[in-house]
Amino acid sequence: MHLVDYSIIVLYFAILFVIGYYVKRKIKGLEDYFLAGRRLTLPIFVATLVSTWYGGILGVGEMSFSYGFVNWIINGFFWYFVYLFFALFLANKIKRSNLYTIPDQLERFYDNKSRFLGAIFNFIMVSPAPYILSLGIIFNFLFGLELWITLVLVAIVMIFYTIRGGFVGVVYTDVIQFVLMMVGFALIIPIAINTYGGFDFLQSSLSNPQLVFTYIDTTKHLTLTGTQTTQWILIWGFIAFWTLADPGFYQRCYAAKDDKIPKKGILISIGFWLLFDILTTFTGIYAIAAYQAGLLDVQSPLTSFLSISVALLPPVILGIFLTGLIATIMSTADSFTFLGAMNISHDLYKKIFRKKATDKQVIAVTKIGIIISVAFAVFLSLLFKSVVDMWYYIGSIGISAMIVPIIFGFFYKGKKSPMASILSMIFGSSTALIWVIHGFLNSSGGWPVYIEGIEPLYPGLLTSLLVFVIVNIIHTRRMK
Amino acid sequence: MDLAYLLIADAIALIIATIILTIYFLKDIIKEKKK
Repeated sequence: MHLVDYSIIVLYFAILFVIGYYVKRKIKGLEDYFLAGRRLTLPIFVATLVSTWYGGILGVGEMSFSYGFVNWIINGFFWYFVYLFFALFLANKIKRSNLYTIPDQLERFYDNKSRFLGAIFNFIMVSPAPYILSLGIIFNFLFGLELWITLVLVAIVMIFYTIRGGFVGVVYTDVIQFVLMMVGFALIIPIAINTYGGFDFLQSSLSNPQLVFTYIDTTKHLTLTGTQTTQWILIWGFIAFWTLADPGFYQRCYAAKDDKIPKKGILISIGFWLLFDILTTFTGIYAIAAYQAGLLDVQSPLTSFLSISVALLPPVILGIFLTGLIATIMSTADSFTFLGAMNISHDLYKKIFRKKATDKQVIAVTKIGIIISVAFAVFLSLLFKSVVDMWYYIGSIGISAMIVPIIFGFFYKGKKSPMASILSMIFGSSTALIWVIHGFLNSSGGWPVYIEGIEPLYPGLLTSLLVFVIVNIIHTRRMK
Repeated sequence: MDLAYLLIADAIALIIATIILTIYFLKDIIKEKKK
Protein backbone atom coordinates (compact mmCIF):
# COMPACT_ATOMS: atom_id res chain seq x y z
CA MET A 1 0.00 0.00 0.00
CA HIS A 2 1.18 3.47 -0.94
CA LEU A 3 1.41 6.41 1.47
CA VAL A 4 -1.32 8.21 -0.48
CA ASP A 5 -3.75 5.35 0.24
CA TYR A 6 -3.09 5.57 3.97
CA SER A 7 -3.60 9.34 3.71
CA ILE A 8 -7.04 8.87 2.07
CA ILE A 9 -8.14 6.61 4.94
CA VAL A 10 -6.85 9.10 7.54
CA LEU A 11 -8.54 11.98 5.67
CA TYR A 12 -11.84 10.07 5.75
CA PHE A 13 -11.69 9.70 9.53
CA ALA A 14 -10.74 13.37 9.87
CA ILE A 15 -13.83 14.34 7.83
CA LEU A 16 -16.03 12.24 10.14
CA PHE A 17 -14.61 14.12 13.13
CA VAL A 18 -15.18 17.50 11.45
CA ILE A 19 -18.80 16.63 10.54
CA GLY A 20 -19.43 15.41 14.08
CA TYR A 21 -18.02 18.68 15.38
CA TYR A 22 -19.98 21.03 13.14
CA VAL A 23 -23.43 19.45 12.87
CA LYS A 24 -23.93 19.97 16.60
CA ARG A 25 -25.06 23.50 15.68
CA LYS A 26 -28.07 22.04 13.88
CA ILE A 27 -29.34 20.37 17.06
CA LYS A 28 -31.80 22.49 18.99
CA GLY A 29 -33.96 19.88 20.71
CA LEU A 30 -34.71 16.21 21.22
CA GLU A 31 -36.40 15.75 17.84
CA ASP A 32 -33.29 17.16 16.11
CA TYR A 33 -31.01 14.86 18.08
CA PHE A 34 -33.15 11.72 17.54
CA LEU A 35 -34.58 12.21 14.06
CA ALA A 36 -32.74 15.17 12.49
CA GLY A 37 -35.86 17.27 13.14
CA ARG A 38 -37.91 14.95 10.83
CA ARG A 39 -36.45 16.88 7.90
CA LEU A 40 -34.77 14.14 5.81
CA THR A 41 -35.11 14.98 2.13
CA LEU A 42 -35.25 12.28 -0.56
CA PRO A 43 -31.48 12.22 -1.44
CA ILE A 44 -30.41 12.03 2.22
CA PHE A 45 -33.08 9.40 2.91
CA VAL A 46 -31.75 7.22 0.06
CA ALA A 47 -28.06 7.74 0.94
CA THR A 48 -28.54 6.94 4.62
CA LEU A 49 -30.83 3.95 4.01
CA VAL A 50 -28.64 2.36 1.31
CA SER A 51 -25.40 2.80 3.27
CA THR A 52 -26.80 1.81 6.66
CA TRP A 53 -28.30 -1.36 5.30
CA TYR A 54 -25.04 -2.58 3.82
CA GLY A 55 -22.76 -3.22 6.79
CA GLY A 56 -22.14 -6.88 6.04
CA ILE A 57 -19.75 -6.26 3.20
CA LEU A 58 -17.05 -8.68 4.41
CA GLY A 59 -19.71 -11.41 4.71
CA VAL A 60 -20.83 -10.65 1.13
CA GLY A 61 -17.18 -11.05 0.06
CA GLU A 62 -16.98 -14.36 1.88
CA MET A 63 -20.23 -15.66 0.37
CA SER A 64 -19.60 -14.62 -3.22
CA PHE A 65 -16.04 -16.00 -2.98
CA SER A 66 -17.20 -19.30 -1.46
CA TYR A 67 -20.53 -19.87 -3.26
CA GLY A 68 -20.48 -17.68 -6.38
CA PHE A 69 -23.50 -16.04 -8.03
CA VAL A 70 -25.98 -17.60 -5.57
CA ASN A 71 -24.78 -14.85 -3.19
CA TRP A 72 -26.84 -12.42 -5.27
CA ILE A 73 -29.94 -14.61 -4.84
CA ILE A 74 -29.58 -14.95 -1.05
CA ASN A 75 -28.25 -11.50 -0.24
CA GLY A 76 -30.03 -9.55 -2.96
CA PHE A 77 -32.93 -11.08 -4.87
CA PHE A 78 -35.03 -12.24 -1.88
CA TRP A 79 -34.48 -8.98 -0.07
CA TYR A 80 -35.76 -6.83 -2.96
CA PHE A 81 -39.23 -8.39 -2.56
CA VAL A 82 -39.29 -7.69 1.17
CA TYR A 83 -38.10 -4.09 0.55
CA LEU A 84 -40.85 -3.72 -2.04
CA PHE A 85 -43.44 -5.01 0.43
CA PHE A 86 -42.09 -2.58 3.04
CA ALA A 87 -42.24 0.34 0.59
CA LEU A 88 -45.76 -0.42 -0.64
CA PHE A 89 -47.50 -1.49 2.57
CA LEU A 90 -45.52 -0.30 5.61
CA ALA A 91 -43.47 2.82 4.87
CA ASN A 92 -46.35 5.30 4.84
CA LYS A 93 -48.05 3.74 7.86
CA ILE A 94 -44.83 4.10 9.84
CA LYS A 95 -44.26 7.68 8.73
CA ARG A 96 -47.83 8.72 9.55
CA SER A 97 -47.61 7.22 13.05
CA ASN A 98 -45.07 9.98 13.82
CA LEU A 99 -43.28 7.96 16.50
CA TYR A 100 -39.58 7.36 17.26
CA THR A 101 -38.85 3.63 17.51
CA ILE A 102 -40.22 0.10 16.97
CA PRO A 103 -40.99 -0.30 20.72
CA ASP A 104 -43.13 2.86 20.33
CA GLN A 105 -45.17 0.95 17.75
CA LEU A 106 -45.46 -2.05 20.09
CA GLU A 107 -46.87 0.17 22.83
CA ARG A 108 -49.31 1.69 20.32
CA PHE A 109 -50.50 -1.80 19.26
CA TYR A 110 -50.39 -3.51 22.69
CA ASP A 111 -49.09 -2.03 25.97
CA ASN A 112 -45.97 -0.76 27.67
CA LYS A 113 -44.86 -4.23 28.76
CA SER A 114 -44.58 -5.11 25.06
CA ARG A 115 -42.55 -1.91 24.65
CA PHE A 116 -40.22 -3.01 27.44
CA LEU A 117 -39.57 -6.45 25.96
CA GLY A 118 -39.38 -5.03 22.43
CA ALA A 119 -36.75 -2.51 23.56
CA ILE A 120 -34.56 -5.26 24.98
CA PHE A 121 -34.76 -7.41 21.82
CA ASN A 122 -34.25 -4.31 19.72
CA PHE A 123 -31.12 -3.42 21.66
CA ILE A 124 -29.68 -6.88 20.96
CA MET A 125 -30.67 -6.75 17.26
CA VAL A 126 -28.99 -3.38 16.72
CA SER A 127 -25.77 -4.27 18.48
CA PRO A 128 -23.00 -2.89 16.24
CA ALA A 129 -20.77 -5.80 17.32
CA PRO A 130 -20.54 -7.57 13.92
CA TYR A 131 -19.60 -4.27 12.26
CA ILE A 132 -17.08 -3.17 14.86
CA LEU A 133 -15.49 -6.61 14.53
CA SER A 134 -15.47 -6.26 10.70
CA LEU A 135 -13.62 -2.96 11.02
CA GLY A 136 -11.18 -4.59 13.44
CA ILE A 137 -10.52 -7.34 10.86
CA ILE A 138 -9.88 -4.76 8.10
CA PHE A 139 -7.42 -2.73 10.18
CA ASN A 140 -5.75 -5.89 11.33
CA PHE A 141 -5.32 -6.90 7.65
CA LEU A 142 -4.13 -3.48 6.48
CA PHE A 143 -1.97 -2.31 9.37
CA GLY A 144 -1.25 -5.51 11.29
CA LEU A 145 -2.60 -3.92 14.47
CA GLU A 146 -3.84 -6.12 17.32
CA LEU A 147 -7.59 -6.72 17.19
CA TRP A 148 -8.39 -5.11 20.55
CA ILE A 149 -6.42 -1.95 19.66
CA THR A 150 -8.37 -1.50 16.40
CA LEU A 151 -11.67 -2.16 18.18
CA VAL A 152 -10.91 0.55 20.74
CA LEU A 153 -9.78 3.06 18.05
CA VAL A 154 -12.92 2.53 15.97
CA ALA A 155 -15.05 2.81 19.11
CA ILE A 156 -13.52 6.19 20.02
CA VAL A 157 -14.15 7.74 16.57
CA MET A 158 -17.72 6.49 16.46
CA ILE A 159 -18.55 7.53 20.00
CA PHE A 160 -17.26 11.05 19.30
CA TYR A 161 -19.33 11.88 16.25
CA THR A 162 -22.51 10.07 17.27
CA ILE A 163 -22.52 11.62 20.75
CA ARG A 164 -21.88 15.07 19.38
CA GLY A 165 -23.94 15.03 16.22
CA GLY A 166 -26.76 12.63 17.15
CA PHE A 167 -28.84 11.39 14.21
CA VAL A 168 -27.85 14.49 12.19
CA GLY A 169 -24.21 13.44 12.48
CA VAL A 170 -25.13 9.89 11.46
CA VAL A 171 -27.04 10.89 8.30
CA TYR A 172 -24.57 13.52 7.10
CA THR A 173 -21.63 11.13 7.45
CA ASP A 174 -23.79 8.50 5.69
CA VAL A 175 -23.97 10.67 2.55
CA ILE A 176 -20.17 10.70 2.24
CA GLN A 177 -19.97 7.02 3.10
CA PHE A 178 -22.64 6.23 0.50
CA VAL A 179 -20.66 7.97 -2.28
CA LEU A 180 -17.42 6.24 -1.26
CA MET A 181 -18.94 2.76 -1.22
CA MET A 182 -20.63 3.17 -4.61
CA VAL A 183 -17.54 4.65 -6.32
CA GLY A 184 -15.20 2.07 -4.74
CA PHE A 185 -17.02 -0.96 -6.19
CA ALA A 186 -17.79 0.76 -9.50
CA LEU A 187 -14.02 1.23 -9.98
CA ILE A 188 -12.77 -2.25 -9.07
CA ILE A 189 -14.88 -4.27 -11.54
CA PRO A 190 -13.67 -2.57 -14.78
CA ILE A 191 -10.07 -2.89 -13.52
CA ALA A 192 -10.60 -6.60 -12.73
CA ILE A 193 -12.02 -7.18 -16.23
CA ASN A 194 -9.12 -5.30 -17.80
CA THR A 195 -6.50 -7.22 -15.76
CA TYR A 196 -7.88 -10.76 -15.72
CA GLY A 197 -10.27 -10.86 -18.69
CA GLY A 198 -14.03 -11.06 -19.29
CA PHE A 199 -16.55 -13.88 -18.87
CA ASP A 200 -14.28 -16.36 -20.69
CA PHE A 201 -11.66 -15.96 -17.97
CA LEU A 202 -14.23 -16.60 -15.23
CA GLN A 203 -15.63 -19.66 -17.01
CA SER A 204 -12.29 -21.27 -17.75
CA SER A 205 -10.83 -20.60 -14.31
CA LEU A 206 -13.90 -21.64 -12.32
CA SER A 207 -14.49 -24.84 -14.30
CA ASN A 208 -11.35 -26.32 -12.67
CA PRO A 209 -12.74 -29.15 -10.45
CA GLN A 210 -9.96 -28.79 -7.85
CA LEU A 211 -11.33 -27.76 -4.41
CA VAL A 212 -10.31 -24.36 -3.00
CA PHE A 213 -9.65 -23.99 0.76
CA THR A 214 -10.52 -27.73 0.91
CA TYR A 215 -14.30 -27.11 0.78
CA ILE A 216 -15.10 -24.70 -2.06
CA ASP A 217 -16.22 -26.29 -5.33
CA THR A 218 -16.09 -23.53 -7.94
CA THR A 219 -17.50 -25.48 -10.90
CA LYS A 220 -21.03 -24.13 -10.35
CA HIS A 221 -20.07 -20.61 -9.22
CA LEU A 222 -21.65 -19.02 -12.30
CA THR A 223 -25.00 -20.83 -12.05
CA LEU A 224 -28.07 -19.38 -10.28
CA THR A 225 -28.09 -21.79 -7.35
CA GLY A 226 -24.46 -22.96 -7.20
CA THR A 227 -23.87 -26.16 -5.27
CA GLN A 228 -26.44 -25.23 -2.63
CA THR A 229 -29.65 -27.10 -1.78
CA THR A 230 -33.06 -25.45 -2.20
CA GLN A 231 -33.65 -25.65 1.59
CA TRP A 232 -30.43 -23.74 2.30
CA ILE A 233 -31.32 -21.06 -0.25
CA LEU A 234 -34.89 -20.69 1.08
CA ILE A 235 -33.65 -20.10 4.64
CA TRP A 236 -32.16 -16.86 3.37
CA GLY A 237 -35.54 -15.96 1.93
CA PHE A 238 -36.85 -16.12 5.50
CA ILE A 239 -33.93 -14.19 6.91
CA ALA A 240 -34.84 -11.36 4.49
CA PHE A 241 -37.95 -10.81 6.63
CA TRP A 242 -35.55 -9.18 9.08
CA THR A 243 -36.28 -6.00 7.08
CA LEU A 244 -39.83 -5.88 8.47
CA ALA A 245 -38.46 -5.45 12.00
CA ASP A 246 -35.35 -3.47 11.11
CA PRO A 247 -35.05 -0.41 13.38
CA GLY A 248 -32.92 1.43 10.81
CA PHE A 249 -35.73 1.32 8.23
CA TYR A 250 -38.27 2.53 10.79
CA GLN A 251 -36.06 5.34 12.07
CA ARG A 252 -35.50 6.71 8.57
CA CYS A 253 -39.23 6.54 7.76
CA TYR A 254 -40.02 8.51 10.95
CA ALA A 255 -37.33 11.06 10.09
CA ALA A 256 -38.50 11.72 6.50
CA LYS A 257 -39.62 15.24 5.65
CA ASP A 258 -43.00 14.25 4.20
CA ASP A 259 -45.29 11.24 3.72
CA LYS A 260 -44.19 10.46 0.17
CA ILE A 261 -40.44 10.24 0.81
CA PRO A 262 -40.26 6.82 2.57
CA LYS A 263 -42.02 4.91 -0.22
CA LYS A 264 -40.22 6.73 -3.02
CA GLY A 265 -36.91 6.54 -1.18
CA ILE A 266 -37.08 2.78 -0.63
CA LEU A 267 -37.98 2.19 -4.29
CA ILE A 268 -34.96 4.25 -5.42
CA SER A 269 -32.78 2.46 -2.85
CA ILE A 270 -33.75 -0.92 -4.35
CA GLY A 271 -32.25 0.32 -7.64
CA PHE A 272 -28.97 1.23 -5.91
CA TRP A 273 -28.83 -2.06 -4.01
CA LEU A 274 -29.46 -4.00 -7.22
CA LEU A 275 -26.59 -2.34 -9.11
CA PHE A 276 -24.30 -2.52 -6.08
CA ASP A 277 -25.09 -6.17 -5.21
CA ILE A 278 -24.14 -7.35 -8.69
CA LEU A 279 -20.79 -5.56 -8.49
CA THR A 280 -19.96 -6.90 -5.02
CA THR A 281 -20.95 -10.44 -6.05
CA PHE A 282 -18.73 -10.33 -9.13
CA THR A 283 -15.83 -8.81 -7.19
CA GLY A 284 -15.94 -11.94 -5.00
CA ILE A 285 -16.25 -14.18 -8.07
CA TYR A 286 -13.25 -12.46 -9.70
CA ALA A 287 -11.28 -12.97 -6.48
CA ILE A 288 -11.86 -16.72 -6.44
CA ALA A 289 -11.34 -17.08 -10.19
CA ALA A 290 -8.00 -15.24 -9.93
CA TYR A 291 -7.09 -17.35 -6.88
CA GLN A 292 -7.99 -20.55 -8.73
CA ALA A 293 -5.87 -19.42 -11.70
CA GLY A 294 -2.89 -18.77 -9.41
CA LEU A 295 -2.99 -15.02 -10.08
CA LEU A 296 -4.01 -13.91 -6.59
CA ASP A 297 -3.18 -14.86 -3.01
CA VAL A 298 -6.16 -14.90 -0.62
CA GLN A 299 -5.68 -15.56 3.11
CA SER A 300 -9.33 -16.29 3.85
CA PRO A 301 -12.70 -15.94 2.05
CA LEU A 302 -13.73 -13.29 4.64
CA THR A 303 -10.93 -10.96 3.53
CA SER A 304 -11.20 -11.72 -0.21
CA PHE A 305 -12.25 -8.14 -1.08
CA LEU A 306 -9.19 -6.81 0.70
CA SER A 307 -6.85 -9.26 -1.04
CA ILE A 308 -8.15 -8.55 -4.55
CA SER A 309 -8.11 -4.77 -4.05
CA VAL A 310 -4.56 -4.64 -2.69
CA ALA A 311 -3.34 -6.86 -5.55
CA LEU A 312 -5.25 -5.12 -8.32
CA LEU A 313 -5.75 -1.42 -7.72
CA PRO A 314 -3.25 1.37 -8.36
CA PRO A 315 -2.50 3.98 -5.65
CA VAL A 316 -5.31 6.51 -4.99
CA ILE A 317 -7.96 4.14 -6.40
CA LEU A 318 -6.90 1.58 -3.78
CA GLY A 319 -7.25 4.25 -1.10
CA ILE A 320 -10.74 5.15 -2.38
CA PHE A 321 -11.82 1.50 -2.53
CA LEU A 322 -10.56 0.65 0.96
CA THR A 323 -12.14 3.81 2.36
CA GLY A 324 -15.37 2.79 0.61
CA LEU A 325 -15.15 -0.62 2.26
CA ILE A 326 -14.56 0.95 5.69
CA ALA A 327 -17.35 3.52 5.05
CA THR A 328 -19.80 0.74 4.15
CA ILE A 329 -19.29 -0.80 7.57
CA MET A 330 -18.94 2.45 9.55
CA SER A 331 -22.28 3.75 8.27
CA THR A 332 -24.05 0.70 9.69
CA ALA A 333 -22.05 0.60 12.92
CA ASP A 334 -22.80 4.25 13.79
CA SER A 335 -26.52 4.00 12.95
CA PHE A 336 -26.92 0.82 14.99
CA THR A 337 -25.02 2.34 17.91
CA PHE A 338 -27.38 5.29 17.90
CA LEU A 339 -30.46 3.07 17.66
CA GLY A 340 -29.28 1.02 20.65
CA ALA A 341 -28.74 4.22 22.63
CA MET A 342 -32.30 5.34 21.77
CA ASN A 343 -33.63 2.04 23.12
CA ILE A 344 -31.98 2.86 26.43
CA SER A 345 -32.88 6.56 26.65
CA HIS A 346 -36.21 6.84 24.86
CA ASP A 347 -37.82 3.40 25.17
CA LEU A 348 -36.68 2.48 28.66
CA TYR A 349 -35.61 5.62 30.55
CA LYS A 350 -38.17 8.12 29.27
CA LYS A 351 -41.15 5.88 28.54
CA ILE A 352 -40.92 3.43 31.41
CA PHE A 353 -38.68 4.52 34.27
CA ARG A 354 -38.84 8.31 34.26
CA LYS A 355 -41.83 9.61 32.35
CA LYS A 356 -41.27 13.21 33.44
CA ALA A 357 -37.67 13.36 32.18
CA THR A 358 -36.79 16.57 30.34
CA ASP A 359 -35.40 16.60 26.79
CA LYS A 360 -32.00 17.55 28.19
CA GLN A 361 -31.99 14.54 30.52
CA VAL A 362 -33.04 12.20 27.67
CA ILE A 363 -30.23 13.50 25.46
CA ALA A 364 -27.75 13.01 28.32
CA VAL A 365 -28.94 9.41 28.82
CA THR A 366 -28.68 8.82 25.04
CA LYS A 367 -25.02 9.83 25.21
CA ILE A 368 -24.45 7.34 28.01
CA GLY A 369 -26.43 4.81 25.92
CA ILE A 370 -24.01 5.31 23.00
CA ILE A 371 -21.08 4.42 25.25
CA ILE A 372 -22.95 1.39 26.68
CA SER A 373 -23.91 0.18 23.18
CA VAL A 374 -20.32 0.45 21.88
CA ALA A 375 -18.81 -1.11 25.02
CA PHE A 376 -21.27 -4.03 24.80
CA ALA A 377 -20.35 -4.44 21.10
CA VAL A 378 -16.60 -4.46 21.79
CA PHE A 379 -17.19 -7.09 24.50
CA LEU A 380 -19.27 -9.27 22.11
CA SER A 381 -16.65 -8.87 19.36
CA LEU A 382 -13.86 -10.08 21.62
CA LEU A 383 -16.08 -12.94 22.84
CA PHE A 384 -17.34 -14.29 19.50
CA LYS A 385 -14.59 -13.28 17.05
CA SER A 386 -16.86 -14.31 14.13
CA VAL A 387 -18.96 -11.82 12.20
CA VAL A 388 -21.20 -14.41 10.57
CA ASP A 389 -21.89 -16.24 13.87
CA MET A 390 -23.02 -13.00 15.54
CA TRP A 391 -25.40 -12.15 12.69
CA TYR A 392 -26.79 -15.61 12.67
CA TYR A 393 -27.56 -15.89 16.39
CA ILE A 394 -28.65 -12.28 16.90
CA GLY A 395 -30.84 -12.54 13.78
CA SER A 396 -32.44 -15.89 14.62
CA ILE A 397 -33.36 -14.89 18.18
CA GLY A 398 -34.34 -11.27 17.39
CA ILE A 399 -36.50 -12.07 14.35
CA SER A 400 -38.26 -14.91 16.23
CA ALA A 401 -39.24 -12.39 18.92
CA MET A 402 -40.20 -9.32 16.90
CA ILE A 403 -41.70 -10.14 13.49
CA VAL A 404 -45.02 -11.70 14.54
CA PRO A 405 -46.22 -8.97 16.98
CA ILE A 406 -45.17 -6.24 14.53
CA ILE A 407 -46.90 -7.76 11.50
CA PHE A 408 -50.10 -8.47 13.46
CA GLY A 409 -49.93 -4.97 14.90
CA PHE A 410 -49.88 -3.36 11.49
CA PHE A 411 -52.18 -5.64 9.52
CA TYR A 412 -54.60 -7.44 11.86
CA LYS A 413 -57.68 -5.29 12.19
CA GLY A 414 -59.38 -7.30 14.96
CA LYS A 415 -58.86 -6.96 18.69
CA LYS A 416 -55.24 -7.55 19.76
CA SER A 417 -54.18 -8.95 23.10
CA PRO A 418 -51.09 -7.50 24.85
CA MET A 419 -50.62 -10.91 26.48
CA ALA A 420 -50.38 -12.54 23.02
CA SER A 421 -47.65 -10.09 22.02
CA ILE A 422 -45.58 -10.62 25.18
CA LEU A 423 -45.88 -14.42 25.21
CA SER A 424 -45.14 -14.74 21.48
CA MET A 425 -41.96 -12.67 21.96
CA ILE A 426 -40.86 -14.74 24.97
CA PHE A 427 -41.70 -18.17 23.51
CA GLY A 428 -40.49 -17.37 19.96
CA SER A 429 -37.08 -16.14 21.08
CA SER A 430 -36.66 -18.84 23.76
CA THR A 431 -37.41 -21.58 21.22
CA ALA A 432 -34.78 -20.18 18.86
CA LEU A 433 -32.29 -19.85 21.75
CA ILE A 434 -32.91 -23.39 23.02
CA TRP A 435 -32.55 -24.68 19.44
CA VAL A 436 -29.18 -22.88 19.14
CA ILE A 437 -27.94 -24.22 22.52
CA HIS A 438 -29.09 -27.75 21.67
CA GLY A 439 -27.25 -27.48 18.34
CA PHE A 440 -24.06 -26.47 20.15
CA LEU A 441 -24.32 -29.23 22.75
CA ASN A 442 -24.52 -31.75 19.89
CA SER A 443 -21.96 -30.07 17.64
CA SER A 444 -19.79 -32.10 15.36
CA GLY A 445 -16.39 -30.87 14.17
CA GLY A 446 -17.06 -27.40 15.59
CA TRP A 447 -20.35 -27.01 13.66
CA PRO A 448 -23.69 -27.06 15.53
CA VAL A 449 -25.99 -29.95 14.61
CA TYR A 450 -29.66 -28.95 14.79
CA ILE A 451 -32.63 -31.27 15.36
CA GLU A 452 -33.58 -32.82 11.99
CA GLY A 453 -31.16 -30.31 10.42
CA ILE A 454 -33.75 -27.53 10.88
CA GLU A 455 -32.29 -24.05 11.42
CA PRO A 456 -33.34 -22.24 14.67
CA LEU A 457 -35.23 -19.48 12.85
CA TYR A 458 -38.01 -21.85 11.68
CA PRO A 459 -39.09 -23.26 15.07
CA GLY A 460 -38.63 -19.78 16.60
CA LEU A 461 -40.96 -18.11 14.08
CA LEU A 462 -43.47 -20.95 14.12
CA THR A 463 -43.70 -20.94 17.94
CA SER A 464 -44.06 -17.16 17.99
CA LEU A 465 -46.89 -17.35 15.42
CA LEU A 466 -48.76 -20.21 17.14
CA VAL A 467 -48.48 -18.65 20.60
CA PHE A 468 -49.68 -15.29 19.29
CA VAL A 469 -52.70 -16.73 17.47
CA ILE A 470 -53.80 -19.08 20.27
CA VAL A 471 -53.33 -16.59 23.13
CA ASN A 472 -54.94 -13.82 21.09
CA ILE A 473 -58.08 -15.93 20.47
CA ILE A 474 -58.38 -17.00 24.13
CA HIS A 475 -57.44 -13.68 25.71
CA THR A 476 -59.51 -11.38 23.48
CA ARG A 477 -62.59 -13.54 24.25
CA ARG A 478 -61.93 -13.04 27.95
CA MET A 479 -61.31 -9.31 27.40
CA LYS A 480 -64.91 -9.03 26.18
CA MET B 1 -22.05 -10.70 -25.93
CA ASP B 2 -19.44 -10.89 -23.19
CA LEU B 3 -21.00 -10.59 -19.73
CA ALA B 4 -18.19 -8.19 -18.89
CA TYR B 5 -19.93 -5.45 -20.90
CA LEU B 6 -22.99 -5.77 -18.66
CA LEU B 7 -20.83 -5.45 -15.57
CA ILE B 8 -19.16 -2.32 -16.95
CA ALA B 9 -22.60 -0.89 -17.81
CA ASP B 10 -23.67 -1.66 -14.24
CA ALA B 11 -20.63 0.20 -12.84
CA ILE B 12 -21.26 3.22 -15.10
CA ALA B 13 -24.98 3.31 -14.19
CA LEU B 14 -24.09 3.20 -10.50
CA ILE B 15 -21.66 6.11 -10.83
CA ILE B 16 -24.17 8.20 -12.82
CA ALA B 17 -26.96 7.47 -10.31
CA THR B 18 -24.62 8.39 -7.44
CA ILE B 19 -23.66 11.67 -9.13
CA ILE B 20 -27.33 12.56 -9.72
CA LEU B 21 -28.23 11.82 -6.10
CA THR B 22 -25.28 13.87 -4.86
CA ILE B 23 -26.33 16.84 -7.03
CA TYR B 24 -29.85 16.73 -5.57
CA PHE B 25 -28.37 16.48 -2.08
CA LEU B 26 -26.16 19.56 -2.65
CA LYS B 27 -29.13 21.46 -4.13
CA ASP B 28 -31.11 20.74 -0.96
CA ILE B 29 -28.24 21.94 1.21
CA ILE B 30 -27.92 25.21 -0.77
CA LYS B 31 -31.70 25.72 -0.56
CA GLU B 32 -31.61 25.18 3.21
CA LYS B 33 -28.69 27.64 3.61
CA LYS B 34 -30.56 30.32 1.63
CA LYS B 35 -33.45 30.04 4.07
